Amino acid sequence: MRDIRFQYGKQPLFTHLNLTIQKGNIYGLLGVNGAGKTTLLKIISGQLFPSEGESSVLGFNPINRDPHMLEDLFHLPEEFFLPRVTTQEYVSTYAPFYPKFDREAFNRYCEEFGVDQKQQLTALSFGQKKKFLLSFGLASNTALLILDEPTNGLDIPSKSQFRRTVASAMTEDRTFIISTHQVRDMENLIDPIIVIDSGDVIFNSPLYAISENFTIGLESAQPEPESAIYTEKVPGGWMVIRNRASHEDETSVDLETLFNAIVAHPQHFRNGLEQGGAQ
Amino acid sequence: MKLLNVIRKELIERKKNLFIYALTIVLILLLQEFADAFIRKAVGNVIRNETTYLNNYSIFLFLGGFITTSVMFAQDMFSRTGQHNWLMLPASRFDKFLAKASLTTVGYPLALTALFAVASLLIEALALLFFQNPIHIFNPFTQHIGLLILHYMATQSLFLLGAAYFRKAHFVKTVLSLLILSLVITALSALFVRIAFAPYNNGFYGYHFVLDQNLLSQHETLFTIAKWFGYIGYWVIMPVFCWFTAYLRVKEVEATDAIQ
Repeated sequence: MRDIRFQYGKQPLFTHLNLTIQKGNIYGLLGVNGAGKTTLLKIISGQLFPSEGESSVLGFNPINRDPHMLEDLFHLPEEFFLPRVTTQEYVSTYAPFYPKFDREAFNRYCEEFGVDQKQQLTALSFGQKKKFLLSFGLASNTALLILDEPTNGLDIPSKSQFRRTVASAMTEDRTFIISTHQVRDMENLIDPIIVIDSGDVIFNSPLYAISENFTIGLESAQPEPESAIYTEKVPGGWMVIRNRASHEDETSVDLETLFNAIVAHPQHFRNGLEQGGAQ
Repeated sequence: MKLLNVIRKELIERKKNLFIYALTIVLILLLQEFADAFIRKAVGNVIRNETTYLNNYSIFLFLGGFITTSVMFAQDMFSRTGQHNWLMLPASRFDKFLAKASLTTVGYPLALTALFAVASLLIEALALLFFQNPIHIFNPFTQHIGLLILHYMATQSLFLLGAAYFRKAHFVKTVLSLLILSLVITALSALFVRIAFAPYNNGFYGYHFVLDQNLLSQHETLFTIAKWFGYIGYWVIMPVFCWFTAYLRVKEVEATDAIQ
């Protein structure tokens, strides 16, 4: 996507948004409420048309919604409508539209999520419906899978199951884009991370680049302001992000702290990653 | 193949509503027939109203078909939650439109005709069993039924356009629009007649206006041409125009304000 401009009425949301997605990754799309995560996903899937800029999704211009693009793209929105049919009817109706749909995998995902396949779809709870659609989307084997707030409405065991199932469905030919504001639900799953804020992509990087360049850790005392890039008071101490020295061990990435830090100091992270390597 | 899949999807998703609709029709026919049979048996030799099926058929064909057509795009094109499925369905815009249009234009009258034929067989068999009535079965293979279906196909195109054009209250708005359009056309026609046939008028309202046989024979070719223009307009231009405009409207809605 290059120089994308999009506005609701006269209020611009994106002015010159640029974004490149590499296949074979599970991207995490993060942003504060109203940042434009859902809008961006709809632009990618061709449901909203930017007023300016160029975009190419799977080799197609998404605004044409070419059937060949659509059969290789599954988009699970945050709010969805399901017809009054049984789960089996839904699968037999919609699966033919996705040439790579794997029925066995679908049954396996449903089993893993505990979805009852004998019920009317409208009789399922919101969480069950979401797990059903997740199973369908994963089994569709589309090259691009877009999930908008997929863990909203899922219970705690289902959230861990979600991470396991999504990870198991990933292949090098597929790309998942998962939008969320509940980063804890996505830990150990999403990588790279895309952060959008104020109408622009302010961060788009794999986590190893973060680990190579920064350390993130819990410290008991508040550090000197100049010694850290970002500090945040949390129960039990302070989460601190510093530039990593070459002799220091890499630390695991706390997504919530990282996200807050990126939104607070986007330029610092961009510069840090552009310079590359540990300091 | 995609088109068939879309048609199948439309039918499966609407099967419950279609079943209720069909059941309602059968029950109405059954009640009417049984009431008729009961009265005849009680009163004696009363002349039987053999047009019951035909009257009901005409009502359900036109009114039912127009209403069914009017709501065909409501969920998919104009509902916030339904739009996502419609837009993301891996089929071309034309396939999606054609599936809905063909189901309401061709599928509906054929299914209704078959339903009436089968229902009349069952109902008449029951009536014979309970009331020993002479059998009068709905015959779908008549010229009259064929002509009704053709008229339905031509006029239904207006409601297809209304279904795609209006965002809400599709049926009512289409009827009102047609009413206004009819009034305008009537007024223009009256004006045209007043000007074109000025010598045959006496006063502005044409109080003594008479199209005598002499006039008709003098302008026979003109009247024949006008009649054929009417036929072509009704049977070809109007349906094709409505179908094409409805498709363009679907395209426009998807491109401009599908999801907001």
